[in-house]
Amino acid sequence: MLSISGLSVTYGPVHALTDVSLEVPRGEVTAVIGANGAGKSTLMRTLAGLVKPVAGTATLDGNSILGHKPEDVVRMGVALVPEGRSTVPELTVDENLRLGGMWRSKFERAGLNAEFYDMFPALAQRRNSRADTLSGGERQQLAIGRALMCDPQCLLLDEPSLGLAPLIVTQILELVNRLAVEVNIAVLLVEQNAVTALRVAHTGVVLNLGQVVMSGSAADIASHEELRHAYLGY
Amino acid sequence: MRDLMRLPGARLVLHAAIAIGAWLALTWVNGAVDPLMNYYIALVAMYATAMFGMVILVGLSGQVSLGNGALMAVGGYVFALTTLNWQTIPFTVIPMNGIWAMLFAAVGGVLFGLLIGVLGARLSGPYLAGLTLGIAVGIPAIANRFPELLGGETGLQLTVPYPDGGYAPVVEEVDQQFVEELPTGQDELPTGQDPLASDGSGDLLTSDNFPSGDASVAPDDLLTSDNFPSGDASVAPDDLLTSDNFPSGDASVAPDDLLTSDNFPSATPDASALPLDPGSTDVSGVDVSGVDVGFVLERWQASLAVAVACIVGFLALNLVRGRQGRAWRAVRDDPVAAAVSGISPARSKVSAFVVSSLFAALAGAVFAQILAYVGPGAFGLGLSLSLLVGIVLGGRSSLVGAVIGAVLLVWLPEFVLSLSNDRGWEEQVTNNAPNLIYGLLVVLVVLVAPGGIVGTLQALVGKVVRRARKAG
Amino acid sequence: MTQLIDYLLGGLGSGMIIALMALALVLTWRATRVVNFAQVGQAMFTTFVALTIQTLTGSWLVALVAAIIAGALLGVIVQYLVLRPVRRMDTSGAIIATFGVLIALQAAAGMIWGGDSQAYPQPFGNTALTVFGREWPVSAYDLVVVGFGVVLVVGLTLLFTRTDLGLAMRATAFNPEVARLSGVRVSRTLTIGWALAGIVGAVAGVLVAPTSAISPNSFDILLVFAFTAAVIGGLDSLVGAVSVGIFTGLVLSVVSGYSDSSNAPVVALFLLALNLALKPEGIFGHSKARAV
Repeated sequence: MLSISGLSVTYGPVHALTDVSLEVPRGEVTAVIGANGAGKSTLMRTLAGLVKPVAGTATLDGNSILGHKPEDVVRMGVALVPEGRSTVPELTVDENLRLGGMWRSKFERAGLNAEFYDMFPALAQRRNSRADTLSGGERQQLAIGRALMCDPQCLLLDEPSLGLAPLIVTQILELVNRLAVEVNIAVLLVEQNAVTALRVAHTGVVLNLGQVVMSGSAADIASHEELRHAYLGY
Repeated sequence: MRDLMRLPGARLVLHAAIAIGAWLALTWVNGAVDPLMNYYIALVAMYATAMFGMVILVGLSGQVSLGNGALMAVGGYVFALTTLNWQTIPFTVIPMNGIWAMLFAAVGGVLFGLLIGVLGARLSGPYLAGLTLGIAVGIPAIANRFPELLGGETGLQLTVPYPDGGYAPVVEEVDQQFVEELPTGQDELPTGQDPLASDGSGDLLTSDNFPSGDASVAPDDLLTSDNFPSGDASVAPDDLLTSDNFPSGDASVAPDDLLTSDNFPSATPDASALPLDPGSTDVSGVDVSGVDVGFVLERWQASLAVAVACIVGFLALNLVRGRQGRAWRAVRDDPVAAAVSGISPARSKVSAFVVSSLFAALAGAVFAQILAYVGPGAFGLGLSLSLLVGIVLGGRSSLVGAVIGAVLLVWLPEFVLSLSNDRGWEEQVTNNAPNLIYGLLVVLVVLVAPGGIVGTLQALVGKVVRRARKAG
Repeated sequence: MTQLIDYLLGGLGSGMIIALMALALVLTWRATRVVNFAQVGQAMFTTFVALTIQTLTGSWLVALVAAIIAGALLGVIVQYLVLRPVRRMDTSGAIIATFGVLIALQAAAGMIWGGDSQAYPQPFGNTALTVFGREWPVSAYDLVVVGFGVVLVVGLTLLFTRTDLGLAMRATAFNPEVARLSGVRVSRTLTIGWALAGIVGAVAGVLVAPTSAISPNSFDILLVFAFTAAVIGGLDSLVGAVSVGIFTGLVLSVVSGYSDSSNAPVVALFLLALNLALKPEGIFGHSKARAV
């Protein structure tokens, strides 16, 4: 379980996150929703070690993940899929997967690799094509696959639906849900597309101007009308 | 220039006052110091002239260029060619003089700057630096390609100040006067120093392609001073300017061993011909240091260089502190935002190139007159690197920084030399110490204080002021 | 026609050296997005180190190994002390810093070894080979140079395509953030890239030294040729750097053969300007725009 408490991040005089606390249990998808500039991406980048917080703690199964370099945070079991299809387009599909979890033994990687291709037969066929020849949805799958190669205990997904067609979005988010439930990992999903995100998530957290304004079961939040009007804009 | 006219008059007057004030002060100083100091002032003013352009190009416009030494070469060669080959301005009866030659040099600089600028404006950081690096190495090499016109490795000798009756045709000039009067070291300069003859017919990377071969001539090439073949050392010690004023005869300074006043053809009685010397009446009358001063070449050099530096400084002040300066900075910091605000990034970059090459060409013409010589060695890569070192140390985007940098470029080698004399360093160490210091300082400044001396001082002052305000 | 062939063959050796130096520039560019203008300075310095070792031991091979070690060390030092801290700042700063390193290295070499050109011993015959009853403008040494070049290029290609380190280096070059998030130790990878570049440059320096001479400034022109080749090749492409590097050597050889060797820099400059004006992303480059 990933627990975050009292997390605050500032960019100079700007407070990007103020006293954010939330819990992401294993086997569940926790969706963080909110408008542009609510601090969602900052939260993810802080957890991945790309941004240094000014206060607060974050632990994965009791071990603190803050204050480490991103490459060490990955080794501790927290993998981030950053915004915007985070593959390396110049590398092939296979190389992108090899890149994830490179510190592991060849044997472990072969196993994970095979699992991934079982999950995505379409990508298995194109394992030697460059990633920039893939469609948007396939690249997002590959990006998630790269993160899964790290064999994470906790998967952080930043706006996986960005720029994808609605049908593909549904596919990707269902995949995310399946990962959480079947592989039993803690998934923290950041989405601007609140409706879709809440549909696949178990728990929802609403972020506004860097502060948690509400958290609860996904269904509760989806049905909370005032909240929707005030923060989610629909 | 159009922008300049649009400025509020007050600022124009202020800038003019600064320039004229600086000119008056330096003219007074020039009259009061000995010829060696005059010579240093001339060099500082010449470097400052070129570096005003570097501030605009590298600092304000953000284009790292190593081509300004080559653009100085353009100025110097145009000056030399027009003075040597034209008795009158072509198609007219107006007699040539030094001022006209400088104007031609300026035009040449602008044209070249336009050419490079148009090519370079499309390029970002390392590409531009590499292209201009190629130009810094390539343009001096062109001189070697046209030995009849441009004098090849040996370069062209000039008579300064510009003689009253104009020049005799160039070939005779060289034959009659210079070859005889040049110091003995001249024989060893042009070729002959290809220590390893290469054998292969198509072997490109032979030493004669390498700049080090050129450097043998390099009178003022700060960054290659150690490349002087040992043969030079014999020339240097006591031929320097006025030997009695010189610190001590150490070959390592060797900037101007070729162009010493006592060897100098026209430094003799012809004091009336001072076409370019604005301060000549003040200067020539004053008699300092008890020496009989009819005409002091160094003083003339200094007043020429100072006058040009003040004019260029005035132009630079108006450009930097006006609309155009803001446009340059805007494009440097965010080209997209600038374009959206109606500033054309391409035009802004080209204009920075043109202005900086105009200044460089003028500096080159002054340099040619200080050396009384133009040659590929004098305008090599080392000169371009010196200019870069100067503005980085002084402060990349500050005109005052350019002046400080120019002083550093002239002062540091002398300081190291005096240290070396006290401590008895080996010549090899003394020769290279300034460049080692420059290189390390450049790295240090980029890492620790990117604003250079001026930027750092400004930051410090700002901090103090803020603290004082808080306290009060 | 035979003359043209002779000129082309005569350019092979120098072409390979330009190719190697261009390769070194590409390696640092790929690692840190910095064109290391100090690269030839580092190569010059390590070649002087090699010359010292050669004089002490009399062995060309030992000297080469010394140069390689010194090249790797120098690459690491420059990257660690200068470029790593500058990386976060403006590109102008990084470019200027590499020139600062170049100036300092040249001065340091002048201090230690003096400013005069010094001969570097020729390890193998430098006389034209006679095969099929004809004298070819290629010496045994040229073949050694080409051989070293081929070995280095093949070795690097294998490293980049077949090993995890190579994959990490490529990923870091193209997208450092994704590489970090995948657990690649990015700063270590960058340093290794600089060490590799230092090694390639050092080998190029030792190889070129016998055919010309060695002095603190003697590689300056090589920087121009290598930069030209690297840029035309696309700056990102190992294949591009090598093939355009060799091509540049051939062109310059032909130009020098038919006219005069002092034309070479001007021709290189012309090629560079032409490339930058017409196809700034280079022949082998990716289609990323280079203009601002």
